[in-house]
Amino acid sequence: MKRNMMRRTTLREIRATLGRFLAIMAIIMLGVGFFAGIRVTMPDMIATVDRFFEEGNLYDFRLVSTLGWEEQDVDALREQEGVRFAEGCHSLDVICEGEDETGFVLKTHSIPKDINLLQLTEGRMPESPDECLMDAGMAETTGMIVGSTVRVSDSNDEDTIDALKYQEFKVVGACHSTYYLNFERGTTSIGDGTVRAYLYLPPESFDVDYYTEIFVSLDNDDAIYSKPYKDTIKALTPVWENLTETQATARYDRIVADAEAEIADGREELEEKRAEGQQELDDAKKELRDGKQELDDAEQELADAKQELEDAVQELTEAKEELDKAEQELADGKKKLDDSKEELDKAEKELADGKQQLDDNGKKLEDAKRQLDESEQQIKDGESQLAAGQQQLDAAWAEINAGAAQIDDAESQLATQEQAVQMQIEQLQPMWDMLPEETKAQLTAAQEQINAARAQIQAQRAALDAGRQQVQENQDTLNAKKQELAAGRAAFEAGRSEYENGKRQYDEAVAKYEEGKAKFEDGKKQYEDGLKDYEDGVKQFEEGKQKYEDGLKEYEDGKQKYEDGLVEFEDGKKEYEDGLKEYKDGKKEFDEKIADAEQELADAEQEVADLEKPDTFVLDRNTNIGYSCFESDSQIVDQVAQVFPVFFILVAILVCMTTMSRMVEEQRTQIGVLKALGYSEFTIMGKYMAYSGIAAVIGCILGYAMGSLVFPTVIWMSYELMYIPLPLIYVLNWKLALAMLGVSLLCSMGTTWLSCRIELSETAASLMRPKAPKAGKRVLLEYLPFIWNRLKFLHKVSIRNIFRYKRRFFMMVFGISGCMALLLTGFGLRDSVAGFADIQYGEIILADAQAGFKESYSEVLPADLQKIIDDNTESCLLMHAGSWDLVTEEKVKSLTLMAPYETERIADYMELHTMTDEPIPFPEVGEAVISNSIHDRYGINTGDTVTLRNEDLQEIHVRISGIFENHVYNYIMMRPETIKEQTGDMPEINSAFLNFPEDADVYQLSAEISKDDRVTTILLFDELRERMNKMMGSLNYIVLLIIACAAGLAFVVLYNLTNINITERIREIATIKVLGFFKNETSAYVLRENLALTIIGIGVGIVLGIMLNHYVIDHIIVDLVSFRNQVMPLSYVYSIALTLSFNVIVNLFMGIKLERINMAESLKSVD
Amino acid sequence: MSVFVEFQNVRKTYKTGELEIHALRDVNFEINKGEFCVIVGASGAGKTTILNILGGMDTLTDGHVWLDGTEISSYNKKQLTAYRRYDVGFVFQFYNLVGNLTAKENVELAAQICKDPLDAEEVLMQVGLGERMKNFPAQLSGGEQQRVAIARALAKNPKLLLCDEPTGALDYNTGKAVLKLLQDTCRKKGMTVVVITHNSALAAMADRIITVKSGTVSSIRMNDHIVDVADIEW
Repeated sequence: MKRNMMRRTTLREIRATLGRFLAIMAIIMLGVGFFAGIRVTMPDMIATVDRFFEEGNLYDFRLVSTLGWEEQDVDALREQEGVRFAEGCHSLDVICEGEDETGFVLKTHSIPKDINLLQLTEGRMPESPDECLMDAGMAETTGMIVGSTVRVSDSNDEDTIDALKYQEFKVVGACHSTYYLNFERGTTSIGDGTVRAYLYLPPESFDVDYYTEIFVSLDNDDAIYSKPYKDTIKALTPVWENLTETQATARYDRIVADAEAEIADGREELEEKRAEGQQELDDAKKELRDGKQELDDAEQELADAKQELEDAVQELTEAKEELDKAEQELADGKKKLDDSKEELDKAEKELADGKQQLDDNGKKLEDAKRQLDESEQQIKDGESQLAAGQQQLDAAWAEINAGAAQIDDAESQLATQEQAVQMQIEQLQPMWDMLPEETKAQLTAAQEQINAARAQIQAQRAALDAGRQQVQENQDTLNAKKQELAAGRAAFEAGRSEYENGKRQYDEAVAKYEEGKAKFEDGKKQYEDGLKDYEDGVKQFEEGKQKYEDGLKEYEDGKQKYEDGLVEFEDGKKEYEDGLKEYKDGKKEFDEKIADAEQELADAEQEVADLEKPDTFVLDRNTNIGYSCFESDSQIVDQVAQVFPVFFILVAILVCMTTMSRMVEEQRTQIGVLKALGYSEFTIMGKYMAYSGIAAVIGCILGYAMGSLVFPTVIWMSYELMYIPLPLIYVLNWKLALAMLGVSLLCSMGTTWLSCRIELSETAASLMRPKAPKAGKRVLLEYLPFIWNRLKFLHKVSIRNIFRYKRRFFMMVFGISGCMALLLTGFGLRDSVAGFADIQYGEIILADAQAGFKESYSEVLPADLQKIIDDNTESCLLMHAGSWDLVTEEKVKSLTLMAPYETERIADYMELHTMTDEPIPFPEVGEAVISNSIHDRYGINTGDTVTLRNEDLQEIHVRISGIFENHVYNYIMMRPETIKEQTGDMPEINSAFLNFPEDADVYQLSAEISKDDRVTTILLFDELRERMNKMMGSLNYIVLLIIACAAGLAFVVLYNLTNINITERIREIATIKVLGFFKNETSAYVLRENLALTIIGIGVGIVLGIMLNHYVIDHIIVDLVSFRNQVMPLSYVYSIALTLSFNVIVNLFMGIKLERINMAESLKSVD
Repeated sequence: MSVFVEFQNVRKTYKTGELEIHALRDVNFEINKGEFCVIVGASGAGKTTILNILGGMDTLTDGHVWLDGTEISSYNKKQLTAYRRYDVGFVFQFYNLVGNLTAKENVELAAQICKDPLDAEEVLMQVGLGERMKNFPAQLSGGEQQRVAIARALAKNPKLLLCDEPTGALDYNTGKAVLKLLQDTCRKKGMTVVVITHNSALAAMADRIITVKSGTVSSIRMNDHIVDVADIEW
């Protein structure tokens, strides 16, 4: 019950004073959020990358031998204890060209199976050896895209070109590689010295029989950068060094043994070849001799054939003459035959005409006879027809007559019947009506039947009359025909006598024709015999002619054959001569080859003798740029995390303290009452503890949640400009969360406890009396009358108020200065980061561009190349620029060494000055200057001596004579003579700074220069500057985050202070309102303090901000980029303006609150 | 004598949701210039509401209030502030001094914003605090604090002095001294003084006694036998 009541009053209290509750909650939230946010960022980042490395199976050791490795080496190492995977890989630096023919250096790797796995981001995996995967960042650095083709440049040396199977590779996909966590691709000894991107090729694309390196992955899952992991690697490194050494030596022995065996084989082969060759030569000689004999035989044969041909010509001429004679004879015989044929044809025609006439006459006679016979028949038919007609007519007459009699009978019969019926009717007439109907009908039917029969008889009589008429007509016709027939018979008798005369004449003519025909047949027989004789003659002639032509053909064939033989003979002769020459050449070549082979063997023997024992290297992850950079980069955030939260914790404590003590003061009477009622101190305090505790818990949870989400996310976003984008893993750190909760509770409840303890120590009675108001106090300033007296009266009031409550004063000053410092750091960060590229390429590097050469030249460039450069630039500075390793005890760090040839002219290309802009002279021989980033990172100072090592493992030692400002890349600069002095060789020229004429089109000029194959790259610094500025833009997120935190801090503090001021002084404010202060005067009276405190806070904040900015910038060193600590004046303006505007916003809100204060408050009693 | 303050059918209604509470209704009275007027009534009778309205701290619902020929009931918020600033002096039951200011500064606080203020030191001297001018309120006794408050009101040189239970927080003798100061001020300076109290004994010293009851004026009477403060007993 009691508990319940307390809980209710606590909840009610929260509702009533929500602003105050929220203020405590907000400040705890901000503090926890900021602290937790920054604290969890590094673990989150490391967890993210750890996961990435684990999934991608990053190597633990990378084994390199100067002799390379073979599969059996890999197998041997894989067998070692604790090895999870071992994999041999190829890698090669290659100068490549994109589709627009710009050249750049790419590092090609073979696609691994187990270690350093790839993440495909676009496209697909290569399926054939002429396909490849490109660096996902490659589009940015080289403009290549998936689907384009990478060409291996002709400017590569032969070994490089030979090591790849193809000259062109199709890009089928893009990937991220576990091996490359960030966007640094390292340096190289070819091209412009910078590896622009990597390329992954299928292992089959490499045409080499050895691996460049072996990657080993150990059976160890310790987190990256963790101490256990580092210890493990440290312990294992010597073991692996031994293993590697042993394996490499074994390989060396193997190579030597193989080579010696090969040489022996070679020698044997040589001997074999020599014997074989000699045999071949001998065979050829014999063959040539045989050929010569054959040729001689053929010549004789040809001569014989020629004689034979000449004989045949004679024979043929004679036969031709005979044939001509026979042809003439045949022509005469033919003429005679043709004449007799003509005569015969005439006679035949005559005969034919006679026969025709005879046939015509015969035919006419026959026609006449047939006509006569027909007429006779016709007459006979007519007579018999007439007789039959007469007979028919007679029958008809008889029939008619019989019909007439029949009808008469029927008529009389009918009349009798009618009469009977008529009588019956008459008899019945009187009693007609009495008659039964049946009888009546019968009578009527009978009457009708009689009438029908009468009508029928009448019809028959009419038909009979018609038949009689027709028979009469037929009788008439028949009579006429009888007359006609009699006339026909007379005509027929006259025709028959005419026919008998014609027939006699015709028979005489037939006899005469038969006589002529016999005569013609004899003539025809005679002619046909003649014709047969002639045709036999012709046939005989044709045969003779055919025989002659066959002879002629045979002769011509023979002649052709002879001529062919002659040609063949000539060819054979030529062939023989060629063979002879060939034999001589072959013999010479054979001798030479044998000599060469002998030389080669001798060389090989020499080479084997010269083969050095291999150098081996065991490289751990620290040599991987991505891995080692990330370690230092992730630590930046952690270092920054050390300072920031101090503010927040301090401010949080002050806010809690002032708020809670004010609250306890306000409720003094209530506490007194509760105490008087007998509540224990613990219970009374519980309410306030609960109040602040709840605020702290909610604030802590919200703050932790938001901080640990927002901070890592935003910071990770800014890291994405240097690292491949990975989804961030959020690690929930329970310990930290609980610690934060503890601190929050301590901070809120601790201050509550302190505030309560003072009040609760008083007696209930004194608590119920109003607390004696805090006595007014003079401030120090009042003792300086010359200042104090000049102040306006109301200003004096404010000043006294400001210094009246120390805790509030400090809370405000800490809060506002914290806000100001944060803003300044945020903007300063942006200034420093945004400005570094402008400083680098505007104030430090003054040259317009840097050219890289394909080859290195000692002392001078070839004259024509120098001319091309001179023609397109205003001036240039030749130099050696190479990648050297800075050797320190812990790490080997790659630096860019620049050794310009004409050091006296360096001022036109690069300005060397310290961070404080003091010029630095160019180092003398034996000295070097380093960029400030090297100084910052490795603690190398002026006067130190450092060791540098190049690719050929030559070492030089130089004394550092100065540290110059430089923000991009780690440069070390010296005179070329320094290197010469220690290595004996002048470093070769492989690069040059260029300055273009003013207002010239630098792109065109640089293109002109790069047309020359010997120029591999031209780096335009302006372009680089723009690119870097763009990349750094993402830092704006962090700046925004900081501004948001600063705003939060300012709002909470200002709001809280004003709120306390107002609630505490509510009577005072009501009184001055009653006194007639206008609205703005009232506001000014209260809020002037805010403004004054804000201004003090800003002043302190500027100092703090500058310090903080230094600290942060000093700890942010991105591997190849270091920032210049600078805060632009405008940033001060922004920071101050923002802080003031926060103040104004809070004041506006509070003005409304002041407005609402009821003047009646002034009449109330003090409580 | 001319009418200085006039309440005409004043009504004040507070609305709390559906409920209307009539704090004042049909309040009518007049006060002449230079009068010492006591408004007396039990707690909750409406004294303070009258004071609030007369002092320009609250508005009325209906009716008219005149002061020196001007209708203050028609003033807007800003005019009311100006009215409080220039025309009215307040003396509160609990003095309401600004703890962070000395006695003199408290007087100056009011004098600062007036058109024609009296000299702070002089006024303090008049109320008998010439010696304590540089003390902070916490260093003064109740009576002294109330004197500072009166000095603060007088320094503004107001047309009307409004006192809300000026002796409420004081002991008997000190209360008497304060009342004496008020009466003297009225008599000597011709200041119109309105004292609001629940103590009807004080009525004896007033020129005009207005009794308030249940939100309205129950009686107004002129005092024919004005008694000196020293002779009043309660």
